[in-house]
Amino acid sequence: MKDFMTGNHAVAHAVKLCRTPLIAAYPITPQTAIYEKLSEWEASGKLKGIMMRTESEHSAMASCIAASLTGVRTFTATSSQGLALMHEMLHFAAGCRVPVVMANVNRLLAAPWGFWADQLDSLSQRDTGWIQFYCENGQESLDTVIQAYKIAEQVYLPVMLSLEAFFVSHFMEVVDLPEQEQVDQFLPPMDLPHKFNIDKPGFLVPVVPSELYQKYKYMAQGSMDSAKEIAVRVGHEFKEGFGRGYGIIEPIMLEDAEVALVTAGSITSTARVAIKELRAQGKKLGLLKLRLFRPFPVEAVQVALRGKKKIAVIDRNISLGGGGIFCQELRAALVHSSEHPLIYSFIAGIGGTDVTSEVIKKIALDVLKRDDPVDKPVWIMGE
Amino acid sequence: MTAESDSSSEFVIPISYGSSEITQTGKWGFQKPDTVFKTAPCQEACPTGINIAQFLYLANEGMYGEALLAILKESPFPGVCGRVCFHPCELNCNRTQYDESVSIHAMERYVSDATSNQTIKFVPLPSGESRRVAIIGAGPAGLSCAYFLSLLGHRVSVFEARKEPGGVMRWGIPGYRLPKSILKREIRRILSLPIELRTGIEVGKAVSFYELGAFDAVFVSPGAQIGVPISIPGEKLDQVWKGREFLDRINSKVKVKLGKETIVIGGGNTAMDVARSALRLGSRVTVAYRRTRNEMPAIQDEIEEAEVEGIQLKYLIQPVKVNFLKTKRLAVKFQCMKLSSLDQGGRPKAIPIKGKFITLETDHLIAAVGEQVDLSWLPLELTKNGLIEKNPSPKIFAGGDAVDQARTIVTAIGGGKRAAISIDSFFRGHDDHAVLSKIRTGDKGSLSMETYLRGREKEDWPEAREVVPYEEINTLFFEPSRRIRMRKRNRDKVLKGFSEVNLGYNAKEAKFSASRCFSCGTCNYCYNCYYFCPEGVISLDPAQWRKEVDFDHCKGCGTCAKACPRSVVEMREYP
Repeated sequence: MKDFMTGNHAVAHAVKLCRTPLIAAYPITPQTAIYEKLSEWEASGKLKGIMMRTESEHSAMASCIAASLTGVRTFTATSSQGLALMHEMLHFAAGCRVPVVMANVNRLLAAPWGFWADQLDSLSQRDTGWIQFYCENGQESLDTVIQAYKIAEQVYLPVMLSLEAFFVSHFMEVVDLPEQEQVDQFLPPMDLPHKFNIDKPGFLVPVVPSELYQKYKYMAQGSMDSAKEIAVRVGHEFKEGFGRGYGIIEPIMLEDAEVALVTAGSITSTARVAIKELRAQGKKLGLLKLRLFRPFPVEAVQVALRGKKKIAVIDRNISLGGGGIFCQELRAALVHSSEHPLIYSFIAGIGGTDVTSEVIKKIALDVLKRDDPVDKPVWIMGE
Repeated sequence: MTAESDSSSEFVIPISYGSSEITQTGKWGFQKPDTVFKTAPCQEACPTGINIAQFLYLANEGMYGEALLAILKESPFPGVCGRVCFHPCELNCNRTQYDESVSIHAMERYVSDATSNQTIKFVPLPSGESRRVAIIGAGPAGLSCAYFLSLLGHRVSVFEARKEPGGVMRWGIPGYRLPKSILKREIRRILSLPIELRTGIEVGKAVSFYELGAFDAVFVSPGAQIGVPISIPGEKLDQVWKGREFLDRINSKVKVKLGKETIVIGGGNTAMDVARSALRLGSRVTVAYRRTRNEMPAIQDEIEEAEVEGIQLKYLIQPVKVNFLKTKRLAVKFQCMKLSSLDQGGRPKAIPIKGKFITLETDHLIAAVGEQVDLSWLPLELTKNGLIEKNPSPKIFAGGDAVDQARTIVTAIGGGKRAAISIDSFFRGHDDHAVLSKIRTGDKGSLSMETYLRGREKEDWPEAREVVPYEEINTLFFEPSRRIRMRKRNRDKVLKGFSEVNLGYNAKEAKFSASRCFSCGTCNYCYNCYYFCPEGVISLDPAQWRKEVDFDHCKGCGTCAKACPRSVVEMREYP
């Protein structure tokens, strides 16, 4: 069934469709609409699960971890400062290997204060051990929630999906709402082999010796690696069931491209239009959309960008003192490629500034002309 | 610290099915908490050394039978003292520095009254080494001494000159303060022990003092009942009486007829008892005292009661002459006095104002200016300054009003207990001074029989406990509250006879009053240490009197010591 809705409501629908029994959250703009919609459904009896209104995001995540360990599906949504406050518990979630799913609405981090789109909040959580997806629009956000459970419940790692503030969270688009039976068929009830057993009480997160700590991390890294393959498989299964698919990355007109643009999130939609226009003018341009960020799809990216001479990464984020974070990851992934492509970093859209088709075309034409390596990121200042 | 692998979870979740107790965090610290019971200032001030914090804890728990037993460990007269004691405990109560004193006096009475139907089955110590002790006088000192000696397993014979036991409690204190039934009950309880009471036997007449030499020890407590003469012209007139004799007649149910007006001379408890008794016999009463209200030795409550009941108090006058008038009334000439420098007892002296006199007319004059001890029947070497010496020879001990100590019921009871311990120590052949110093409750002279019994078998006593000062009480844990005033019988009814004035507390008032106790130096299982302990290593069980710390896991942080409101938990360094 098709409906017209915001990205936030698309996420809420997905949570309802996944029959998540426990949602623990704390409201924060621009995520609040997810929280409100789920609360509304809980009040009217449409939501079968429980909304736990916790006193903070830190507690929300702690609640999700505890509930998840009893063997139930859990969900939370947050944004920006809320995610930052949750930081400590993110490590606990990953360390406890709980399949919690979280939607993060990408919003800039203070200071100064603001509510606008920026990916720094979730990218700052890069090393917490969570699987991370970046979604282009409302439909993809909805579909990624459903996929996220299926991935998380196989690798025993939590999944965070990000959708940008307002551009996705509040823009209304046509969304194809799956039928409940479809989702039920795709996503069977959660059945973890390990969960709290009241007859065999245990002590969670004990002090462990160094060697054992190392072993836990080593095992988690192994699971992270396997997540790439599982994410691809789940993507295929989803496509079979629902007729839509995204892949962990998406190559667009890359085959014969001289210059490849790389984007993540909502800028991709604009880039699709810009590329089409430049192609019409005879410019050999292609686009690579990064959807899975952790684990970083190194092999898939290497294959997709093989033979490209010049690559331009557009980042709606900045690691101060470094550069665009997606660009850093990409450079690291391609460091062993024989062609040694020139990889340019463009910082655009910081703090919610608009990245229009014109901006993207300007970047593409600029890169077409360049032949020298540039280490520093190039800032595209919004007006 | 084992993180056992759980085969079903494929060793994924960091969860331990062993116990973290394997990590002995207790080894990290350098100090450990210790439960150190201390003496509360009320107990220190109590001449009988009653463990007040303990009995109030039990009362607060509703365990009145146990509370009674706690009192009976130190005093056989809770019903008497709960009514007539001058309660120095309350004056010294730490709570006076916070809001108002705990109602200890009224609570002692309540515990006694609430358990009036309870029969106590005393179990005296084995009498294998028992000796025979003669006690002269069945007053508060003599009966207390008999009670404790009997509990210690000795055979006691009490010689009482009067036809009934009780001494000043029986013949001195009027019934409106101490009903005879209460006294009877407590004496009956004492006499449930194997004590031989021989009433109507006056030592010195029926039996000579020397005949008592057949006993292994003698306790002399004849009291002081000879009224001190005022030694002024007119003293021998028929309308001039002595206070003790007047009270004796009333307590003997002899009909006493008083005129319309009575003047009472004196400022002590006898004077107050005389004045209020005279009032009840229908006379208008004036009390004449040579100093001022501040110097009156009577219990404050009694002075207040007397005033409330309508007795007039006149200060700074001293009778010098009584004339019998033609109207058959008396004209009492008083010398006017003024206060001067302090005497040896720390009270200001009263000295005459030259040439200033007043004369008051009255029908009766009753002098209650003190009592003397009858020493006529005793060997002279046992006496000193008109009193009996406390331990004039190895086997002779003395106590009560006949020795040099405050003349109060509770002091006499404490003295009887002290003598019982001294006599027992004498029989057992150990130095009673060393023992008495260790079993003292603070530094004001009172002793703990409980402590004495605990160390008696091995003849080994720990050092006396410290007294808890107010500064060591963590008052953050207490809500300010007012003490409850005891209800009194309607004044008009009270003044028509000798029925008891004070009505005591009801159950609700008693519960609240007990709960006000800070319980200084005594654990009352408030569970503060338990709740505040960040390690969860404290276990408490009031039913078993259990207080335990798992020292293998106590890091010695000291939170329990800070959280204890009553200074019971102390941190001790260990090597």
